[in-house]
Amino acid sequence: MPTHKEKLLKNLPGKKMKFTRRCLKFALTILLLLPLLKATSQTQEIDLSGKWGFQTDVMDFRRGSLSPRYNHKLQDSIILPGITDDFKIGYKNPYKYIDRLTRKYEYMAPAWYQRDIEIPKEWKGKRIFMYFERTHWLSSIFVDTKEVSKVDYISVPHNHDLTAFVTPGTKHRITVGIDNRYQYNTHKWNHAHTEFTQINWNGILGEIKLVAIDPVYVDDLQVYPNIADKSIKVKMQVRNYTKKNITGNASFTVNGKKYNMVKKIPVSVNDSLVTIEEVIQLGRDIKLWDEFNPNVYNITCQLKTSSEKGSYTHEKSATFGMREVKQGKNHVLINNRPVHLRGTVENAVFPKTGYAPVDDAEWERIMLILKKYGMNHLRFHSWCPPKAAFRMADKHGIYFEVEMPMWGKDAEVDEDRYNFFRREMRGILKEYGNHPSFVLYCNGNEITGNFDFIEELTSNARDLDNRHLFSGSTARTRVKSDQYYVSQQTNKGPVKVYEGLPHTKWDRSTESDVDVPVISHESGQRCIYPNFEEIKKYANSPVEARNFEVFRDMLKENGMLDQAPDFFKASGALTVLEYKAVIEALLRSSKSAGFQLLSLNDFPGQGYAPVGLLDPFWDSKGLVTPEKFRESCAPTVALLRYAKSSYFNDETFAGDAEVYNFGPKAIENAKIKWWVTNEAGKTLQNGNLRKRSIGRDDVFPVGNFSFNLKGVTSAQKLTVHLSVNEAIKNSWDIWVYPRNENLMKSTAEVLYTSMYDDKAKQQLAQGKTVVLCPQPENVKGRTSTFHNHFWNPIMFAWKPMTIGALIKNDHPVFDQFITSYHTDWQWWDILNNARVIEMQNAPKDLRPFIQIIDSYDNNEKLGIGFEAKVGQGKLLVLAVDTQKDMANRPATRQLLVSVDNYVKSGKFNPKVAVEEPFIQSFLMK
Amino acid sequence: MRRRIFLMTGLVFSCIFIYAQQIKMSATAGLDQIYGSTVISENLLPFNEIDVEFGYVLYEAQISVESEDAVLELENVRDFAAVYVDTIVQGSITNDERKITLNTAQGKHLLRIYVENIGRITYGPEILDNSKGLFGRVTVDGEEVVGWKITPLKVRDLQIEDLKFHSKKSNALPGFHKGFFNVSDVKDTYLNMAGWGMGEVWINGQYIGSYWEKEKLQSIQVVADILRKDKNEIVIFELKNNSQNTVGFADEPVFN
Repeated sequence: MPTHKEKLLKNLPGKKMKFTRRCLKFALTILLLLPLLKATSQTQEIDLSGKWGFQTDVMDFRRGSLSPRYNHKLQDSIILPGITDDFKIGYKNPYKYIDRLTRKYEYMAPAWYQRDIEIPKEWKGKRIFMYFERTHWLSSIFVDTKEVSKVDYISVPHNHDLTAFVTPGTKHRITVGIDNRYQYNTHKWNHAHTEFTQINWNGILGEIKLVAIDPVYVDDLQVYPNIADKSIKVKMQVRNYTKKNITGNASFTVNGKKYNMVKKIPVSVNDSLVTIEEVIQLGRDIKLWDEFNPNVYNITCQLKTSSEKGSYTHEKSATFGMREVKQGKNHVLINNRPVHLRGTVENAVFPKTGYAPVDDAEWERIMLILKKYGMNHLRFHSWCPPKAAFRMADKHGIYFEVEMPMWGKDAEVDEDRYNFFRREMRGILKEYGNHPSFVLYCNGNEITGNFDFIEELTSNARDLDNRHLFSGSTARTRVKSDQYYVSQQTNKGPVKVYEGLPHTKWDRSTESDVDVPVISHESGQRCIYPNFEEIKKYANSPVEARNFEVFRDMLKENGMLDQAPDFFKASGALTVLEYKAVIEALLRSSKSAGFQLLSLNDFPGQGYAPVGLLDPFWDSKGLVTPEKFRESCAPTVALLRYAKSSYFNDETFAGDAEVYNFGPKAIENAKIKWWVTNEAGKTLQNGNLRKRSIGRDDVFPVGNFSFNLKGVTSAQKLTVHLSVNEAIKNSWDIWVYPRNENLMKSTAEVLYTSMYDDKAKQQLAQGKTVVLCPQPENVKGRTSTFHNHFWNPIMFAWKPMTIGALIKNDHPVFDQFITSYHTDWQWWDILNNARVIEMQNAPKDLRPFIQIIDSYDNNEKLGIGFEAKVGQGKLLVLAVDTQKDMANRPATRQLLVSVDNYVKSGKFNPKVAVEEPFIQSFLMK
Repeated sequence: MRRRIFLMTGLVFSCIFIYAQQIKMSATAGLDQIYGSTVISENLLPFNEIDVEFGYVLYEAQISVESEDAVLELENVRDFAAVYVDTIVQGSITNDERKITLNTAQGKHLLRIYVENIGRITYGPEILDNSKGLFGRVTVDGEEVVGWKITPLKVRDLQIEDLKFHSKKSNALPGFHKGFFNVSDVKDTYLNMAGWGMGEVWINGQYIGSYWEKEKLQSIQVVADILRKDKNEIVIFELKNNSQNTVGFADEPVFN
C-alpha cells in the first residue's frame, strides 16, 4: 500500500512533473505529524505523465549526430503516456493491407522524448530511478548530453537507475530514446510487437515516474505460499548502498478481506546485497485462492534500518494468493485439486488503442467476459501482459499461461537472442511471479531450433520459481523439464479439435494421456464471413479495417453486397455449433487438462481470421448468448454421447449421459432429467436417470436412456435435453425422417436425370421440368464440405476455400425439409456428398437456394442447388450424389422428397432464365 | 544407442524385473500387406493429389546410377523420408537436409522413398504451399528421376490382427516387427524407443503411439489398462530400420 504521502504526490493536479510548492508544504506538514519519520526516509515519486518534448528520428542518426552534445531542445511535443499513433506521427499509410488491419500512421525507428526535470534537493543520498511501466523495445536515457542507461525488456517495466548521473537540487534535461525496431532477430509475428495484432508501437505506457528511495531498500519481494501449514515464505533481496553495516527491522503487514496481521523481524545488512528469508504463519483465518474463491492478499514489508550515519525506511508491497500449483497425472493441480482449463488464446488483439491496456478497467472487462462465457483460463500467445491483467485475473479467478515473445525459429543458435530470452524469462518471473493467476509459464509458441536451449530455459525457470508449472514450447518438441504440454498432438495421437462431427461418441482422452498434463492447442479456428458493419468501429483507432473495404467492394462488384449480413450470420451460426461440438469433445476427454480456443474473439492479422464469437474489440457479434454458450462451457456441464444426428423414424435414439464437474463441489443427490421436445416446444418423451451423487474434478457417467422414434411420422427436428438439478442444462438437436422409399420418380411432366443430355434438353424445350442431379464427379467446381474454412483463407489457401452455406430456408423447395438459414448437422450427409458449382457467370439475379459462401478474398457466387428457366422449360439443379450409400443418408432422402413435392407443385416457377452455355459450363464434357 | 538402453535399464534397476526386460522382436511382416491403391505418374505427386491428408506414402522409381557416391537430391520433403535403394537403407532426409549420397553399385536400381507427413506448416515463407509428401524434382547426380509408382501405406487405421508375420525377415525394408513379453505386475509404464528410427507401436492390438529418434522424448506411455497379466504382444512399425531388434520399458519418461 502506498503511504498517505505517496498518494498525495501521485495525485498532483494536472499531472505535471513540477513538484509544486503547495504540495511539498502539505506533505511536510504530514511529515511533521509523524515524528518518527524523517523527510529523508521516505520514498518519493514525481509523476512524469503529461507533455514531453518530442522528435522523430527515422534516419536513426540523433545518436550519431552532434545534437546531443549541444543539449538541444526537441522541437515537437507529445503527451505521455501515449504512442506516436495517437498524434498521427509517422508515415501516413496510403495502402489497404489485405492480411491485417491497416495502421494509419506507421512508425518504426528511434523517437526521442524530452523533459527538463528539477531533481528535488531533498533527494540527496537517495537512489533515483526513472520508471516506465511498459514500452518497447529499447529505452535509453540521456541526462543532459550523456547517454547513461539502456534497458531492453519487452514484458516488464523499464527501471533506469539514474542515481550516479543526476544531482539533487539541479535541473537536468532528460532525453529518452524509445526504439521500437526489433532489437534482436526474433520472429516478426510474436504478439508483443507484431503489426498483425497490437501494432509495433513507439511510446511509453502506464506509470511514468521518477522515484527516489532510501539507499537501504527492498529490491525484490517474493512470496511463496505453503497451504499445508498456512504460511508464506517471504524471500527478499535487500540492497544497501551506504557502504556501512546496517541494522533495524522489517515489519510485514498482511492485509485482505477480514484479515490483518503484522510480524516484525530484526534485520542486519552487512553487505551491498543480502537475501532475507522469513516464514510467516498466517493462521487459520487465511483463505485459499482459486477460480471460485479468488481471495487476494497484500503484503507490505516496511524496512526500517539505521547505521551511525542515518536511518532509512523503505516499503515494498506485493499481491499474493494462498495457492499452490502442481503437476498432476493428467491435470494441473491447484491446491492439490485437478482443474480443467477452459480457455481462449489471447494474442494482444487491441485495435481500439493499438496497444495492450495497462489499466485495470479494460482487463477487468475481459476477465468478466471470460467468466460470462464459462471460461477460467487465458493463454497469452507469445507475449506477457502488463500487471493490470494479472491483478484483474487474481481478482476474478482466471488461470494465466504467459509466454515470452518467442516463436518459430527463435531457438536457432544466436547468443545475443538467447541472452535476451534468458533475461526476459527472469524478468517475467520476478515481476509477476507473486500473482496467483500466474499458473503456467511457457517459453513461446511453436518453437523450432536448438531444444537444448529450450530445456535450459525451462529447467532454469523451474529452479527459480516453484509457483508455476513450466513448459518448453507449445506444439513442438517435448523437453525433459516440461511439467505440462500444450499441443495439437502427443506421441499417442492428435489432441487438437478443430471441428465437430455429427455424433458425440468420441473424445481425446487416450491421446491426452501421456507423462504430463496435456492442453489442447488452438482449438476451433472456424472462419466466419466478416461483418462489414465493424468498419465503422475503427473511426478513432490507430488502425482501420481497410481489408474489409476491399472485401466489401469485391462482393459488391460480384453483385452480392446485399447478402453480406446473411453470409456473416450463416457462417457465424456454423462456427457456433462447431465450437459447441469442439468444446464438448474436449470436456468429454477426462484425461485432457483443458483447451485453449482460438479464439473467443477475432484475430485481425495473419490474413485476418474472424474466428471469434466476439469481434476484435471483445464485443459480441450477436451469434450466441453467453448463457447458451455456458451450457457447453462452464465449471459443470451436462454431456451426452450419441451415435448420430440424423435418424430414420423406425430407429431408436440412445444417449449416454455424462456430467463434467470441475465446479467448486460435488453434487449430492443429483436429479438428472432428460426430455425431448419438438420444434413447437412440446415435450414428446421424458425420463429421469437414477438419482446419484456426482463427484468433482472429473467427468462422470450418470446413466443412459433411449427412446423409440416411431411416433415421429413426418420429418422433424427434435431437441434432446439433459438437466442436472435444474440449474445445469444442455441440449442437442437431432433430425428424424421417414424412410422415404420412393425417390426421384420421373413423370411425364418431371424428368429426373443425372445427365444434361438430349432427353433433358427435349424435355425443357417442351416447357416441362427437369431435375438435374449430376453426380459430383461430373461437376466442375469445388469440393463440398460441411465445415467452414480453417483459420482464414488468406493465410491457409487450402481448397475448397469456402466458409459455410447460406440456405434460403423460406423457399418452397424446403417445405418438406426442416432447415434454418444456416447449415446444421442434418446437412452433413448432403454436403459431404455434393459438389459446389461455380456460378459467378450465371445471371446476376440467379441466387441458389443452397448457396455456398466463398472466401472473402474471392467472393464469387457458388451453389449446390438452384432453379432457373431454360427457354420454356423449368430446371432445378441439385449437385448432390443421389446414388452412393443412400440407405444411410436420411437427410438427403428427405431433401429429395422436398424437392420432388416442390417441382411437382404449382409453386415451382423459376423466374431467372439461364442459357445452355452456363449449364454446360459446370458439367464435365 | 544400445548403450543408452542399458544405461536406462540401470536407472530403473529398482523396478520389478519384468519392466527391465528387453523384449526381442521375433517376427516381421512386410509393408505390402498395407498398400493402398497405387497411382502411376510420370512426375512426383504430393499427398494432396492422391487424397492422403496425413500418414505414410511409398514413392518408387527406377534409377540409373552411373557414378560412385551418386547424390540423390529432392526439391521438397514434407516432412520425413527414409531412402532405400533396392532393399538397402541409405538414410533419412527432411526438408532441411534434402541431399543424400547413395551407397550403391553402378547400374539400374529401384529407388524407394518412404515418406511421412507430420503436420501442416503454420507459419513461415512456405505457408502458402501446404503440399505434403514429395513434389518438385528428384534427381540422381542432376538427372531427373521420372516414372513414379506412388502407394499410400495404410498404417494409421490398421487392424494388427490382420497382419501376417513371418519368423524370419526377408530383407531390410521398412516393416512391422513383433515380439512378446510377460507382465506379472500390471501397472502404468513407459516404452523406451531409444535406438529405433521412426514409427508407431501397438500393444495387444491397441495403438499406443509414435516415436522418432529426432525428438527429445524417446518413450511412449503405456497405460495399465492395455497390458495383460502374463503374455503380451507388441508390434512396431519401423520406417527407417536402424536394425534395432529389442525394446524395453522404463519407469520414467525417457528423454535424450
